[in-house]
Amino acid sequence: MDNASEDSAPNPYEPVENPSDAPPTTSTDSGSAVPSGSGKSSGSGEQWGSRIGVILAVAGSAVGLGNFLRFPGQAASNGGGAFLLPYFISLLVLGIPLCWAEWTMGRFGGLRGFNSAPGIFGVICRTPKARFLAVPALLIPLVIYMYYVVVEAWCLAYAFGYLNGSLLQGNDPATYSKYFDDFVGANNDGDAFNGSTNLIYFVLFTFAVNFILIYRGVAKGIETFCRFAIPLMVVCALCVLVRVLTLPADKVSAGLGFMWNPDFSSLSDPKTWLAASGQIFFSLSVGFGVIINYASYLKKKDDVVLSGLTACSMNEFFEVCLGGLITLPAAFIFLGAAAGDQGTFGLGFNALPNVFAQMPLGRFFGFLWFFMLFLAAITSSLSMLQPVIAFLEEAFSLKRAQSALILGVLTIAGSGFVLYFSGGMKALDTFDFWVGTFLIFVLAMIQATIYGWVFGIERGAVESAVGAQLRMPTFVQFMLKFVVPVYLAVIFIAFVFQNLPDSTAADGTPTPGYLSKIAGDVVVQRSLLFILGVIALLTVMVHFAGVRWIKQGKFARAMED
Amino acid sequence: MEPAGWIVMGVSVGSVILLLTFCLFRVLTLPPVADDEPDS
Repeated sequence: MDNASEDSAPNPYEPVENPSDAPPTTSTDSGSAVPSGSGKSSGSGEQWGSRIGVILAVAGSAVGLGNFLRFPGQAASNGGGAFLLPYFISLLVLGIPLCWAEWTMGRFGGLRGFNSAPGIFGVICRTPKARFLAVPALLIPLVIYMYYVVVEAWCLAYAFGYLNGSLLQGNDPATYSKYFDDFVGANNDGDAFNGSTNLIYFVLFTFAVNFILIYRGVAKGIETFCRFAIPLMVVCALCVLVRVLTLPADKVSAGLGFMWNPDFSSLSDPKTWLAASGQIFFSLSVGFGVIINYASYLKKKDDVVLSGLTACSMNEFFEVCLGGLITLPAAFIFLGAAAGDQGTFGLGFNALPNVFAQMPLGRFFGFLWFFMLFLAAITSSLSMLQPVIAFLEEAFSLKRAQSALILGVLTIAGSGFVLYFSGGMKALDTFDFWVGTFLIFVLAMIQATIYGWVFGIERGAVESAVGAQLRMPTFVQFMLKFVVPVYLAVIFIAFVFQNLPDSTAADGTPTPGYLSKIAGDVVVQRSLLFILGVIALLTVMVHFAGVRWIKQGKFARAMED
Repeated sequence: MEPAGWIVMGVSVGSVILLLTFCLFRVLTLPPVADDEPDS
């Protein structure tokens, strides 16, 4: 229906004459305060309070559990110190250019009255139909939030477990594995709701904190919290780092060696390069739909080049300097080489509690560590709510409270689904794979293509130079057009071949691929149906949002610039 | 830890800290952004 109306109109950007629902151009309504043609501030009227505030918010979005738990494991299993070479090359070729592209497109859209990805894509591509390409930019943060908030609650509960001493359970690894499985309800579906664990209370508390902060808005909520949380995370992590590095010197040296001794032969293995590219890609939160939304609240003369680079370097500080020096070295010192074989959750919630139980003053440092992880998680989860709440406000002229209420209902349904189907954490795993990994590749490729081939690198160079406090090298624009999309496509294809079909592990154990999991598991099927339902809902909402924007002339006004 | 490990760790950690220090110094010493003015 919308397509028909769009196609039949001579010019899709022309507003309907005196539409009944067209807002006044100077309206202060949160969803329609469009500074028509002014190109000076974001669509909602919201703006960041300070330069360092937006940098901390973007860094807070990027810094999460992956910096501390995923990066060390990836490095240790892919050549140790040698992993850092492809890692830094990927940062320079893929990570930083993509971040700059998102910052530039976000500010561009924000100055033309749009804070949500559907509107921004429509303006950049100069057709309202392009808004449908942005459905993943809403879906990804929304669905990731649904399970990430649960993991966030685990971190809070573990920090609490050190305060009351319940997590100091000796040095038997099986004890911590059982504690974790019982607590998250991994043994059976529905355990989180039958009173066998108190996880639900931590989830409710975490939900409340997230929504209170998001309700307060971009500057008063997200920015204020990040200005306090990021420095506190650094302090907590440095305390734990000092504790680890002041353990007996020979053990510390061995632990650091486990993480950093280079095996240069691994550089000839393509898997090492793929792992490094993937780590950079996910670590910097590119392709999440978050940076483009955050950057839309910038002012016209706000810098994007230096700010983007600062946010990236801050993320690298947490990952390389803190994650790389704390997590695996500490685990190796107390648990030996077996610590490196555990996955992200195994390392974080089974191995490290065992480490803190054996470490002098472990109760205090265990609390600091998990409290820091909680802060890292909450700065990330806040960034996942904002793109969707901005869309609801912008698309339907809803007030903040109404948008938060709708978003609350959606996310409670999703988190409830993840909590209920907790057996084997299949729902969480399915959400994480198909939305938190697969679709992120897709959105990143869409964004890279739009920037390089639709927005155009010449325009990108001009736009990014406005207010820039650092000159973006010219070759970055060419990389964004020619190298990044191809690089992303290669990683994506390799990722698909590694994960979708069945495979055989090094020890000969058959490993089912994600396609087999769909066919053989009803929880996985239900999880995918849930995701498809959310996609359908968002697509319908994006459709009607576009219809309203055309009627209101928002696209037309945006095109005037 | 092997000498190569110390070198890789030192270079990696040092590079990141150097980059972050440079960026933060530049950001924190910039004058505040003036409110947007109408185009002339």
